[in-house]
Amino acid sequence: MNTPYKSGPDKSRPENMPNKRLEQRARELYHEAARRIDPATAGRLRAVRREALASMQHVHRPHQLARWLVPSGACAVIALAALLVWPSAPHPTAMSPTTAAAGNNGSETDNALPPDPEQADPNLYQNLDFYGWLAANDSQPRTH
Amino acid sequence: MNSLAGTLDAELLTETAQEAPATLDAFLAQVERRAFRVAEFNLRQREDAMDAVQDAMLRLVKHYRDKPAGEWAPLFWGILRRRIVDLQRRRKVRSIVVGWLGGGRDDEGDELPSWEPADHGPGPQDRVQDAQAWGDLSAALHELPRRQREAFMLRMLEGLDVAETAQAMGCSEGSVKTHLSRAMQRLREQLEDWR
Repeated sequence: MNTPYKSGPDKSRPENMPNKRLEQRARELYHEAARRIDPATAGRLRAVRREALASMQHVHRPHQLARWLVPSGACAVIALAALLVWPSAPHPTAMSPTTAAAGNNGSETDNALPPDPEQADPNLYQNLDFYGWLAANDSQPRTH
Repeated sequence: MNSLAGTLDAELLTETAQEAPATLDAFLAQVERRAFRVAEFNLRQREDAMDAVQDAMLRLVKHYRDKPAGEWAPLFWGILRRRIVDLQRRRKVRSIVVGWLGGGRDDEGDELPSWEPADHGPGPQDRVQDAQAWGDLSAALHELPRRQREAFMLRMLEGLDVAETAQAMGCSEGSVKTHLSRAMQRLREQLEDWR
């Protein structure tokens, strides 16, 4: 990790000696200071280190979850979109009139809505007055 | 400038040159005390120093745990350096705000010292055997401009090589050599007794 200088020092040069002594002394003091940290502080530093390393486990977990959750969510969204767009699929929000009519009770529907002209017999509409008269007489009791 | 580079001998470098630890735990265990000393030295406050070291550890683990072990040292020291600078700036802003709010002067109108958090713990000098020498070095280092101090601490005290120091400081190798050369020049002048 630490690469010594390629251009080696000329130890014989007197002007370099103070530098060397300065560096050596400073480094000794620095390492000595680090060694002589009081036990309470050293304990706190250990705790801080453990906490930092423990956070590594917490960091891993969301990543693994995300690895599965994101594709699953995407698949779910695509499936839902396909279901809504599919032509033959029933539209949950827009109900057709016939579906709505089928959902109600039979007698009520017959009275409330006119017959569908496309599905009913066309002859029915040719003698509407007769059928109206027949219906009115049919409701009266027979004399015979 | 280059003559300074030549003054470092391999013997000195190998003294602190250690093999890159295999695990992140081993690496952090190796540097945690020195990191605390560096943070404490720069921030002059133990709790802030502890916070800075904790933050550097967390960030290293979170963002760089998958990097090769050989890259951990410059990354860690770079993170710690930035955190220290952040805390120093924050402290300065707080000091200015306290001044604006009138907290900077006492009842008689005399200016109070800038805001510094209380430090109830024993200072580094009390815990170091050669307290006087460490005190002299600390005082001399505090006189240096920030970039020169960083270059000296990372390169000379921590033993990073020039490239690693440049990476940790976020500058070029040439800048590291310049800062280091000026730092050495000033320290030589201030620490005459060490000659």
